[in-house]
Amino acid sequence: MKGTSLQKILFYLGLVLFIPGILAFGSALYNGPSAWSTDARSYWGVPIALFVFWIGLAHAGTLLSAIFLALGIRLDHRTAMLAELSTLCCLAIAGIFPLMHLGVIENFYMVIPFADARGNFANVMSPLVWDFCCIAVYGILSLLFFWTQLKAKVNSSFEKLRKPVAWILFPLVLWVHTVVSLDFASTLVPEWRGAFFPVYFIAGAVYSGLALVNGLLCLEGYRVRLLERLMLAVSWLLLVVWLWNFLLKGDFCTSAFILAGVIPQLLLVESVRDSRAGRGLISLSVLFGLWAERFYMVMPSFGVSQNCSLNYTDLGLIAFSAGTFFLLFLGLRRVLASYVSDAGTFFGEVDGSDIAKNEIALGENVGHDSRDDQNKDSYVAPWSTEEFRLLRMPLLCGILGVVLFSTWSLNQNAFEHVYLTLVNILPVMYPIVALVAIVVLYLRYFWRNNLWKSTSKIERYLVALLLVMGGLFAGAFYAGGPSEPSPYEPTFLKETVSEPSLLWNARCSSCHGTDGNFNQKFVREFYPVPQKLTLDRLDSLGVDSLAHVILNGRGNMNAYLGRLTKTEAKALVEYMRMLARNNEQKNERDAVGEVD
Amino acid sequence: MAVAGILFGCRKLPFVGETSSADPTIRQFQDEVRLAITKAKEGLDLVRVQAPGALSLPDASRDNRFGMAIDLDACDGCGKCILACSLENNVPLVTAEEAAKGRFMHWIDMHEAAPFMCAHCENAPCEKVCPTGAANHTPDGLSAMTYKRCAGSRFCGTNCPLQARKFNYNDSRKLGLSHQFNAEVPPREKGVMEKCSMCIHRLQEDRARYKTSSAAAAVVSGVPVEPWRGRGVKTACAESCPKNAIVFGNWLDEKSPLVEATRNRQLYAPRQLAKFGPSIVYMMGRR
Amino acid sequence: MTTLANALACVFTLGCSAFLWKPASGFYRNALLLSASLLLFCLFAFFGVDDFSSANMNGELYPFRMMALCLCFSTTALPKYRRRYLVLAQILWCWIELFGGITLYYRGVDVAWTRIAAIAGMAVCSTLLSRISKEMEFCLMVFWIAIWIFF
Repeated sequence: MKGTSLQKILFYLGLVLFIPGILAFGSALYNGPSAWSTDARSYWGVPIALFVFWIGLAHAGTLLSAIFLALGIRLDHRTAMLAELSTLCCLAIAGIFPLMHLGVIENFYMVIPFADARGNFANVMSPLVWDFCCIAVYGILSLLFFWTQLKAKVNSSFEKLRKPVAWILFPLVLWVHTVVSLDFASTLVPEWRGAFFPVYFIAGAVYSGLALVNGLLCLEGYRVRLLERLMLAVSWLLLVVWLWNFLLKGDFCTSAFILAGVIPQLLLVESVRDSRAGRGLISLSVLFGLWAERFYMVMPSFGVSQNCSLNYTDLGLIAFSAGTFFLLFLGLRRVLASYVSDAGTFFGEVDGSDIAKNEIALGENVGHDSRDDQNKDSYVAPWSTEEFRLLRMPLLCGILGVVLFSTWSLNQNAFEHVYLTLVNILPVMYPIVALVAIVVLYLRYFWRNNLWKSTSKIERYLVALLLVMGGLFAGAFYAGGPSEPSPYEPTFLKETVSEPSLLWNARCSSCHGTDGNFNQKFVREFYPVPQKLTLDRLDSLGVDSLAHVILNGRGNMNAYLGRLTKTEAKALVEYMRMLARNNEQKNERDAVGEVD
Repeated sequence: MAVAGILFGCRKLPFVGETSSADPTIRQFQDEVRLAITKAKEGLDLVRVQAPGALSLPDASRDNRFGMAIDLDACDGCGKCILACSLENNVPLVTAEEAAKGRFMHWIDMHEAAPFMCAHCENAPCEKVCPTGAANHTPDGLSAMTYKRCAGSRFCGTNCPLQARKFNYNDSRKLGLSHQFNAEVPPREKGVMEKCSMCIHRLQEDRARYKTSSAAAAVVSGVPVEPWRGRGVKTACAESCPKNAIVFGNWLDEKSPLVEATRNRQLYAPRQLAKFGPSIVYMMGRR
Repeated sequence: MTTLANALACVFTLGCSAFLWKPASGFYRNALLLSASLLLFCLFAFFGVDDFSSANMNGELYPFRMMALCLCFSTTALPKYRRRYLVLAQILWCWIELFGGITLYYRGVDVAWTRIAAIAGMAVCSTLLSRISKEMEFCLMVFWIAIWIFF
């Protein structure tokens, strides 16, 4: 078969791209942001352009399956499965880049809006925090949707879950790309000025997603006319948006205009449209064009300033993303072959001829479900659809969840000196609603229909493992790491010994209190309670080990090496002992006073 | 998990060539400053502004808002402030390639002949977009950095209209590009953002000293403690300026040298920053 | 932009909406009409809004707001699933206003909360509509025009 041999070629092509790609990726991971070229204005470079590109492609699957399903537009199972599979692969690739582009990768978790015991909290004003939440939720829910799709083939009671989930995913997929656009549009970079960026990015994402799916369908050896037409229609809209961008700021990306604006119009020519190579090449050209657009947007000074050029790592990263996609997609496609290409799953038609017929007959709403066509009176009373009844309770739970989350997060100490308004947290709200709603929906549905039995053992173990790992992660997050001393030894330190009482008041009293009892307000609000400095305890530990703790830290106690000398630390231990003795005497006196 | 641990921690793995060449000399720092002056950025587009007042942020201090004023009539762009700043704050050198591109780590940039450092804006755009809260505002008007909290997303640098923030692309210790001249200031690790701190360590030392000594005095005399106003502190750049063109002080303290120096002067700020309420402004001409 | 030009924009969108989703027009024709009207809105906004400097940033969103209003108007003429598409069109409008407002907020412009709330309120209320009569269509249009002009 021609299709499979092409797939094999692409698989090897993926391997050829992947092997140098993974080397570049490793070097980028090890060397950090100096490995790839960044422009002095945006500091970002290729990884972020790749992120925007792949997250755009990831929208295809959800768009095609969830939105079409929600709106009742007919699409065959096979196409929907392919599109969703490509979504998951693209999402996995897109998720790598924002992580690897960080300067300090191990601090990535600080972006999660969840408090730790010290009262640290992510800055929910930042579009990156919104971004992280949206993409995490989107990834989880896409995976769940795909799994439901697979299960629905075995157990028909899963089928009923798909439409409600599709209605939740419909806004989410648009929300995700809107938030990605806010990463750019909410900054002050002149090239990224644009309140219309949400619409612009969504149009671009839908366009690239459609191009990808059309390309993959060519690979499979069939076509869905509806998607070709949609691609063409979106290209027209995007052309107008580009024009507006040009009118507003004078920015124009010629390569994107030619590759993704002009060439796709060849689809209007019948002989091009009907040849498989023609369709495939046009899809490819659109993808290249949109890649160029993203790239030029992320690196505004590329080509303008001589200081900015691509190096091998940049090219390697691009190859890495493409190679990984081919390997991941074609590999999964093989594994899930029985689900994807089973002839029995066809329930739509392939060449689109009856869609054309529908159009002539009905004039609007391309390809609506035949069930609706027969049922001429499509009227449904308000708030009465079956999906709505299933979704009602979960949605309410979601809204409750978001209200609780907002009040809790806004009361965090981290925001004491920050003006936070509704605008700043609004973009994280829908993902939270969606996550809570879907979890409640599934739990309730499973409970009611006793679906636990239909899950396999592996699935149950997997869920248990995920829960345990999630719990461990949350616990570790909350506890926070101990503060490690800086790896840099101070080169010299003045050998001055200050009065220990002054040192204590300046350095220690904010937590431990001026009198050696805790500073109650501070300790309660910011830290887990430090160790009580009783005389017994101090005596049992000894001067050297206590001085060691002061200098090197332990648990939540910060390290003071570099700020205190060893002599000072020892003097502080003596001072601590004196305070403890005073406290003990005071307690004795109080106890005597009470007896009297 | 272990694989993820290695991936996330791999930049700290020491297995590739530990190059600990000799520490750079002061001479190299001087040369770099001289080079930076020849590669000055384009001039500032200045607009007139009012003298900064009390911060409008929640729970901001009513007593302190630290800032500086740079006298462009006196400044001749000699670059001594850049050198003093680098030595005070252990700012590393950059590699030859970076220097050729005009990308230095200096906290003070030359824009034509005017020194420009982070203006510590009241509504700083960089702080808004920092995802972890590493870039934050102190109640007395400093735009501060918590290096340990920085994840290196570089979003703050992107959102500063004048690129006052510098990113540690390299491990400058390993490359032998930095020397810790000042033990009070921690050297920054690879992958974090840094910028002018308005010599926060000097302010904090002074605050600690004032609080402990005045607390002791208050116990003796029984007089209530006067709030700390940061009197007598000077930033490294202000100290080093041969023409006294940089004046550091407290905008809310009538006795501060800053308020006195700017009293009869016309104040300016870069156009891109004017609406964010910069704490560091320029002065030119008499009013 | 003057009040007159703003009102003119509203009439303009109403005119464009009359051509959309005609019973006899196919997919391409609808798509072409939609793109063409967006093009017209862009040109209208470009020549109507005289100042696109950073001081007046609301203009950036103008053609897209016009398109959303146009879609709202056009849904009243749909033969089927009117309520669904009516609500979706209003949500799109709300979306454009809200997220446009958020981007502008980060650049120092206040969010037009009254307008957003009005559109959101309209969208929620219109989910309650049962069969939409001619009078109700008229009422909806009047409400949208009122939101456009007054908020």
